[in-house]
Amino acid sequence: MHYKLIAKRTFFSFFFFAFIALSNRLSAQDGKQLFQTNCASCHNPIKVVIGPALKGASERVPDKKLLHEWIHNNTAVLSSGNKYFNDLYSQYNKTPMNTFPNLSDADIDAILKYADSFQPPTSAPTAGGATATAPESDNSLLYGILTIILAVIMLTLLQVNSNLKKLSDDKEGIPAAEPIPFYRNKAYITFVILILFVIGGYFLVQAAIGLQRTKDYQPEQPIFYSHKVHAGINQISCLYCHGGAWESKQASVPSLNICMNCHMQISEYTGKDKLYREDGAEVDGTQEIQKLYSYTGWDPQSLKYTKPGKPVEWIKIHNLPDHVFFSHAQHVRAGKVQCQTCHGPIQQMNEVKQFADLSMGWCINCHRTTKVNFPDSTGNNGNKFYSIYEKFHKELKPGDSITVEKIGGTECQKCHY
Amino acid sequence: MKKIPLISFILIATITIISCSDVRRSPGRAYMPDMAYSRAYESYSVTTEEKDSLKRHDIFFSNLPVAGTIKRGEMFPFPLAIDKEGDTANYVASKQIINPITNLDSANMAEADRLFLVNCAICHGTKLDGNGPLYKGGDGPFAAKPATLVGDAKYEAMPAGQMFYSITYGKNKMGSYASQLDTRQRWMVIYYIKSKQAEAKGGTSNVADSTTKK
Repeated sequence: MHYKLIAKRTFFSFFFFAFIALSNRLSAQDGKQLFQTNCASCHNPIKVVIGPALKGASERVPDKKLLHEWIHNNTAVLSSGNKYFNDLYSQYNKTPMNTFPNLSDADIDAILKYADSFQPPTSAPTAGGATATAPESDNSLLYGILTIILAVIMLTLLQVNSNLKKLSDDKEGIPAAEPIPFYRNKAYITFVILILFVIGGYFLVQAAIGLQRTKDYQPEQPIFYSHKVHAGINQISCLYCHGGAWESKQASVPSLNICMNCHMQISEYTGKDKLYREDGAEVDGTQEIQKLYSYTGWDPQSLKYTKPGKPVEWIKIHNLPDHVFFSHAQHVRAGKVQCQTCHGPIQQMNEVKQFADLSMGWCINCHRTTKVNFPDSTGNNGNKFYSIYEKFHKELKPGDSITVEKIGGTECQKCHY
Repeated sequence: MKKIPLISFILIATITIISCSDVRRSPGRAYMPDMAYSRAYESYSVTTEEKDSLKRHDIFFSNLPVAGTIKRGEMFPFPLAIDKEGDTANYVASKQIINPITNLDSANMAEADRLFLVNCAICHGTKLDGNGPLYKGGDGPFAAKPATLVGDAKYEAMPAGQMFYSITYGKNKMGSYASQLDTRQRWMVIYYIKSKQAEAKGGTSNVADSTTKK
């Protein structure tokens, strides 16, 4: 009987503790859920968004009842003349807070508990960041060393050969000819000159062709803007900022208000990977965002524009000569060419680098191989821009396809007029 | 002593080779710079000083349109101005404005879908659930939760005119999208959002518009 009671008590106490533990977890979980549905559009646990950061709110307002009242109906608290909340209200630009009459006291406690226990996600820089940006080792040095070794062996063998020949000649009594050192040997000299001429000529011609072409040009921009962070990691569409590529000739560099769409809120870089310049110098992302604020005149403390803005003078990388016409809209919208086709893996570039040489040969090659995307038999999908050529297309055998060249893509006047 | 020139040559050569970087920071030279770099004013090629000097010659380059004028073919502009700080009169008044777009054909709907995905989905999510890649349920870099456009009664009841006000002038932590979307595109996006909301409730996507049931 006695044992039974103990067993019963143990069982119940265990059950009780389990219940407590479970309900605790539930409330924390609920807190997050409630926070995200009700509060998160204006509050963040640790950052000032529209209203103050909520972590520590229960310490700042020790009167629990007042705090509940405030959250339920803040206008009533404000009109009652509470000094703390009226000050808070004017401090945050008198933006009225929504009323939440539906939240129970337990809900509010759960939310505050979640906010108090909130820990920022750790953004310890991974070791991978450094190795990922390290330049790939190339094998040309190894090949060079091998070539030199082979050349030395060849010369030694030649020397050995001539020595052996001389020995055998001596033995047989043939008088040796006057030995000519190799640097006076006409055959050697001609050979070396020929090689130098070919190599020199090659480099000279390459350099002459490359004059005015700026492949791999990668200037340091006034702000370290990483396409890898924006277009790669955060998946922002290219057209979000470069909307002109869809509409007009120019892809257009975004005006600063487009940066501020997000950077009004995002004031520090918290990405996992550290940022590096191409030459290996580390970059402080948060510092670069501050540079943006100094250009726009935004004050991240008061969350207002306090100074007049000035434009960022970005350095233009892709430059076509004045006598070439190129329209982004024609390629991106009508031709459905991906940005990466010409600009390379831009979503992996921390610093933008010119990927293609933008030479005429490069343009023409693409026009010769790219097939025009006509609408299919239902008249859908494909590209209606080319509908004037449809009649000719229908006369062709099925399976035949038309390249851009066939519809005049290599005519001089298309690009030079 | 004879070796000094040799040693110094090797030293200089080594330093030169080491200090060579494969990062190309300069664009290099051009045969004819006046052909390579446009003499005419191209986008972004005019500095503030140049613009001022042009103004002195009565040349107004890349100015804003004259106030009160409407581009040909452009929709009638939004009649309300932005509220002053701490005021919400125009924001409330915007509820009365109805969406001039009452129907979109499939091609225009596809375009509205594209506009939404490019400009809005980054925060509001491709499913309009307020959980785009920038927020990621609180793990993304954006600290404020974007509006849940489908599934939140507040935004499902919000009149189109008020949405237009928010897109045009910005609201809370959302900036103005007037520079990215023109008037018609903004109304198209709103029509798209309203039809997605109706779809989620079980209606057809081709509802006339939310403004009718206001």
